[in-house]
Amino acid sequence: MSATNDTAVPGLNGEPNRPSLYGAANRDIIRVLFKPSALWFFAWALAIATMSWGGYCWYYQITWGLGVAGITNPTFWGVYIVNFVFWVGIGHAGTLISAILYLVRSRWRTGVYRASEAMTVFAVMTAGIFPMLHLGRVWQVYWFFPYPNQRQLWMNFKSPLMWDVFAISTYFTVSAVFFYIGLIPDMAIVRDHSTGLLKKIYGVACLGWRGTNRQWRHFMAAYGFFAAFAAPLVLSVHSVVSWDFAMANTAGWHSTIFPPYFVAGAIYSGCGMVMTLLIPMSYLFKWGDYVNNWHYNNLAKMCLLTSGILTYAYGMEYFIAWYSQNPYEQAIFWWRMTGDYAWAFWLMVFCNCVAPLPMYWSKVRHNPAALFVISIFINIGMWMERFNIVVSSTAHSFDPATWANYWPTWTEFGVTVGAFGWFSFWFLLFSKTLPGVAITEIKEMIAPPVKGGGAH
Amino acid sequence: MAGLNRRDFLRALGLTSGTSVVAACGFDQNYYPTPIETVLPYVVRPEQIIPGNPVFFATTVTTGPAAFPVLARHREGRVVNAGSNPQAPLPPAIPKAALLELQRAYSPDRLKVPSAGGADTTWDDALSKVADAVKSARAAGKKVAWLGGYRSGAIVELVNAFTNNEAVFFEPLGRDAEVEAAERVFGKRFLPAYDLSKARHVLSFGADFLTNWGSVTLASQYASARNPNAGGFVARFGFVGPHRGQTGANADDWYAATPGSEALVALAVAKIVASSLGYSGPLSGTLAAFDVASAIAASGLTQAQLDEMAKLFAAGPAVALPGGTVGATKAATDLATATYILNLVGGNGGVTFGVGPSYSGPIHSYARVEQLIADMAAGTVGVLLVDDPSNPVYALPAASGFAEALAKVDTFVSLSSFTSETSANAKIILPVASLYEDWGDEEPQDGLFLLRQPAMSPLYDGRSVGDVLLATARAAGLPDPAAIANVAADAGVPVAVAPIAPVAPVAAAPTAIGFTPATWLDFVKARWQRDVFPKSGEADFRKFWDRSLSLGAADFRPALAAPEVTATPSASAAATFDGPGEYYLIAYSHAFRMDGRYANEPWAQEASDPMTGQVWDTWLEINPATADKLGLKDNDLVEVTTAQGAMQLGVERTPHVREDAVAIAFGNGRTASGRYAGDVGQNVVKLLAAAKDGAGCLAWQSSKASLKAVGARASLVSTFGGDTDEQRGFGVVVDAGQLAQYGDTPSDKPGKLTHLEYPKLDKRLTDAGINDWYGLTEHPTYRFGMTVDVNACNGCGACAIACYAENNLPIVGKTNVGEGREMAWIRVARYEADYAAPNRPEATLTKDVRFVPMMCQQCGHAPCESVCPVLATYHTIDGLNAMIYNRCVGTRYCANNCPYGARRFNWHTYVWPEPFNLLLNPDASARTMGVMEKCTFCVQRIRSTKSAYRTHSIENGNGFIAPVPDDALRRLTACADACPTEAITFGNLNDAASKPAATRKSARHYELLADLNVFPAVNYLGKASFHPPEHAAHGAEGAEHAEGGHEPAPSEHH
Repeated sequence: MSATNDTAVPGLNGEPNRPSLYGAANRDIIRVLFKPSALWFFAWALAIATMSWGGYCWYYQITWGLGVAGITNPTFWGVYIVNFVFWVGIGHAGTLISAILYLVRSRWRTGVYRASEAMTVFAVMTAGIFPMLHLGRVWQVYWFFPYPNQRQLWMNFKSPLMWDVFAISTYFTVSAVFFYIGLIPDMAIVRDHSTGLLKKIYGVACLGWRGTNRQWRHFMAAYGFFAAFAAPLVLSVHSVVSWDFAMANTAGWHSTIFPPYFVAGAIYSGCGMVMTLLIPMSYLFKWGDYVNNWHYNNLAKMCLLTSGILTYAYGMEYFIAWYSQNPYEQAIFWWRMTGDYAWAFWLMVFCNCVAPLPMYWSKVRHNPAALFVISIFINIGMWMERFNIVVSSTAHSFDPATWANYWPTWTEFGVTVGAFGWFSFWFLLFSKTLPGVAITEIKEMIAPPVKGGGAH
Repeated sequence: MAGLNRRDFLRALGLTSGTSVVAACGFDQNYYPTPIETVLPYVVRPEQIIPGNPVFFATTVTTGPAAFPVLARHREGRVVNAGSNPQAPLPPAIPKAALLELQRAYSPDRLKVPSAGGADTTWDDALSKVADAVKSARAAGKKVAWLGGYRSGAIVELVNAFTNNEAVFFEPLGRDAEVEAAERVFGKRFLPAYDLSKARHVLSFGADFLTNWGSVTLASQYASARNPNAGGFVARFGFVGPHRGQTGANADDWYAATPGSEALVALAVAKIVASSLGYSGPLSGTLAAFDVASAIAASGLTQAQLDEMAKLFAAGPAVALPGGTVGATKAATDLATATYILNLVGGNGGVTFGVGPSYSGPIHSYARVEQLIADMAAGTVGVLLVDDPSNPVYALPAASGFAEALAKVDTFVSLSSFTSETSANAKIILPVASLYEDWGDEEPQDGLFLLRQPAMSPLYDGRSVGDVLLATARAAGLPDPAAIANVAADAGVPVAVAPIAPVAPVAAAPTAIGFTPATWLDFVKARWQRDVFPKSGEADFRKFWDRSLSLGAADFRPALAAPEVTATPSASAAATFDGPGEYYLIAYSHAFRMDGRYANEPWAQEASDPMTGQVWDTWLEINPATADKLGLKDNDLVEVTTAQGAMQLGVERTPHVREDAVAIAFGNGRTASGRYAGDVGQNVVKLLAAAKDGAGCLAWQSSKASLKAVGARASLVSTFGGDTDEQRGFGVVVDAGQLAQYGDTPSDKPGKLTHLEYPKLDKRLTDAGINDWYGLTEHPTYRFGMTVDVNACNGCGACAIACYAENNLPIVGKTNVGEGREMAWIRVARYEADYAAPNRPEATLTKDVRFVPMMCQQCGHAPCESVCPVLATYHTIDGLNAMIYNRCVGTRYCANNCPYGARRFNWHTYVWPEPFNLLLNPDASARTMGVMEKCTFCVQRIRSTKSAYRTHSIENGNGFIAPVPDDALRRLTACADACPTEAITFGNLNDAASKPAATRKSARHYELLADLNVFPAVNYLGKASFHPPEHAAHGAEGAEHAEGGHEPAPSEHH
């Protein structure tokens, strides 16, 4: 009687709606909650371990100063900022899928958007650590916020870092609220399927959802509103992040192409990360009915599109460097390609421009294993892209007498790994406590069970 | 608690709290671990001392014959800095030694109490032991000997009297060859005087006159000769030698003669000059016997090169400088002699070279040291006193046998407040006062008398060498040579000297002062009264003394005159290099550590070597062609072997050394020293032979070395990035010929400037008068700025150390520097450029070097300011990019956005071990871990100067507060004050008379990265080059620039 043993739920494969097992969705998705396997515990323990190691590294750095990291004169920003941009970028796909695709009524989002949104929230939580972590005096981080104080101190709204503070905090708030709103009806389903304390918790969490018409009307209005609200943020946040670089005068950073280039990169990395997370998740949770090749195919197409944009942007940077006749620009781009960090550059080019190309074949797009491998390349490539941008430009800045190379230390590696642990910690927790697929929306795609066993 | 009513509760409360207050008042001191310290303000304030205000004392620092007047800056009981003395009769500068001696005075490794036989003791005990030793030595007929560096003035007389003329004044990297040569040619032992400011051609045969050879006055004279506005010419500098150090790098022409052939080259040039000028005089005979062909054969130079040198030398006032350390071959004295001949033959006697303001202090050659060693080994030396900087066990080749002979000395007394390789063997160590705690005088030039006065009371119980000698002499009952003047009546009162009738005129034979003066100060006074005071022609010695003391100097220098040739020296042969290797081993004096005396000073270790950027190490300089042949890359470990020994060093590839030579700097590898010099680098002396030249001078350059790659990597650390400025316009050159012709200020002739290789502002924008979207900040009264004259900068690095001292920059050590965490606010960048000489294929100079001091440019449109999220850096009304350390959260965005790389970050918490903390400048703001810092233009000095003038204006003016005049600003910053060549000048850009404002109109003017439109307040002046890049040598190029809107950057004050 289980849906997975039956033929695939037809409505979920992008085909016209057919009557199906309406109740199976509830069971399949709630089935995986609250009963963690040994594998899950192992993964979670690993996440906690790496997270703790990262935390220790941070503690060590606070005690002894930023000098324990590899960042130095002239490369004052290193992998901390790389990680920051990387994780903010990861955080893009979720809102793109949940908000923009919702607004354009792209039906395939239904299967993947919940997990993507969760990924977004956790990725932004991860990203948000890094600007703090790289501060010389993290204990003064509250000086970034416009709070009234006796000393009449204020912040500099001309600084892109200040824009960052507001862009990231806004994005996080809106994503989290949007995520939560979408969860309300689903949490009500979990409530209905649980007993005891859990029932109480989810009862409170779903804000007393009863599924009345009136509630649905408000819910849909609110969901639509937040989708509209979140949609421009998808574009703005990474534009603002890119301004951290584009607004600086450092050659290789100072470029008007950065905002669209960063947004495209963010969506690329985000979709890559969604594939990295959902392909194993769907496999392990046996969610083939809900998350399957239809979704992977579409995600792969998104990656192909954004990979093309990135390739164009890389090329355009080189063209402009040549066309502008700006010697600093020319020097830095030439050096990226041939200098001490050439390996990072070419790794980036391979991962972002070459590795996705097999996805032009439909067969590859319908092969989850192949897509999973490519998605790993995408993650590596996008990390390398940020490394290229952040590190190489400052390492070879204007005055040749200051040139020096940068290499991260164990502290930075520890924190970087710790960030993955932190992200995994939350995502694993999510996978066992909240419905990883939006049950209510799945049901919208399935013909409701009509008396008499369906349409037939 | 039942039954306790409100009243009882309150009673109980009152009782308990009351008793605890009482108990707290009389707390048990043993219980509280914090010691009770009493802080008291001055009840009776010492005269002159106003807490918070500095007091300046004129004093004198000494490095060999190059004593120099400085001002010690005193704050609340201690000297915190050294500044230039503008009232002294020498061009103002702060020699590096002044700052290094200052750091030495506060060194945590300084010995605090005397020791005898390895155990700490009291001064009374130590001195009585010395006196007993002297007494018994005299009784046994043994010598009481002295070994020390070059000293002049009163101390020489006292030491000679004390040791019965058994004193040896010797420095390992000394100038004995020049004195021997003077005796050979002029029949007198003295160091000739040089006046570089008149020379149109400076030909150095190895002397590092911009580094350690001679006084910083030479650097100032040379800068004046290079300055097109002073005299209407630009001096051309030719350097003959196998290795270009910081001095040689300034050369316009490098003649890399075979090592050892320098004397022949000098004679050959002299011969050609003599024939072209038709010289006939006492030296004709020497030249007639000399064959130019032998010089060509020995040196590897071509006839054309010799002719070129001769032509330049014969053309006008010129000067030839002797060999210095690099010229100290087995023909060192011959070389000095040859340069004297060249100078005289060229008609420069009395113009750029001669007697008069020369140095007549005792300078002994190595032969004299050998004699002392022989005496010591023979057991005839009863007491040996070794003066402070001298460290013969470290600095002399092992073959000299000094260490072994030292063991045969009955009583070896070290007059040093530091542990050294030599003093470690001492029976008695007497920690003497530092230069800033001592009295004394110096005579760096005949007729120029400098006074040293204590600028603070001794940090520990250090005593004057003079006091030690006087007390010991009296206690030992040494026969007093004579006692004519005893001013003991006023002992200890510095200025209240009873007037004494002037003594006999100068003509009378000087009478010995003897040991009767109660204190060393009295001795110095007696000497001044006898020797100096009569020259003044004044009546009141006390007035004369007081004035001289406050000025730091009395100047009775005679004019420069041509010395009289008393003998015709014979011509010389090329010096040989011995040993199994194939490479000439060139050892040179390090720019900061010198001969090793400052190795334990962290500033001397942390300051980057001017040519290589190396810190905290010893390295081997090798030509890239040779290195390629041996398969050596930068920082590869190589084993250097000579007949004397072997050592492993890291490789530094540099084009500034001959292909068949390698170069190593002296000054590291201290084995018994303090915490900073320990385990740093290697001592090159271990590779060098104890060879001598014909006159008995130590021939450092006499060894050949073989090289073998070890196959491992060394751990060298350099602060330098790229070697060239990538044609980005950091080090810009100007055609020297045109500059001399047109002077420095043809603002309407931009064509005189050679090509500035940076992209210009868009011509359409400049034509439309659009420079920027946003207006510049208003600077109504001041816009502080700076001019850096790249033509004057010789790369000495004094500015960098002065900045460390003034702004409390932390020393971070080798590891941190290796990670790029050095904290220097000013760096002297060394840029090399290919030197194209199409018309001179024989030229051996392949790289043109420009030294460019870089500091915060205090931009008008500062990229750092706009990106700081918390407004920790902002623009002041005075045009400074102020930095509020306390507001900084440490995003380091400002540093990323600074195109000049001027910002530094506090990566760690840095500590100053006691008593270095006492050296910290109390005026400079403290910085903590995690905040950004950078050059502030010494804002603390700006503020105090401004408020001083403000007070002055309010008190004396009519309510109008006049801006600080240019005079008070020119040398205001620590870097500008330290600079001997006025390469750095500070000023107010709003004041048209100030140099920074005036030089913005100069044809040499350029700004760094002007195309970025950041409007830097620092502007640079291009270096005069005799080999400007090819394409710039044509006038047409300039015309094209004039049309092309050559606009380095629109100046903000039109």
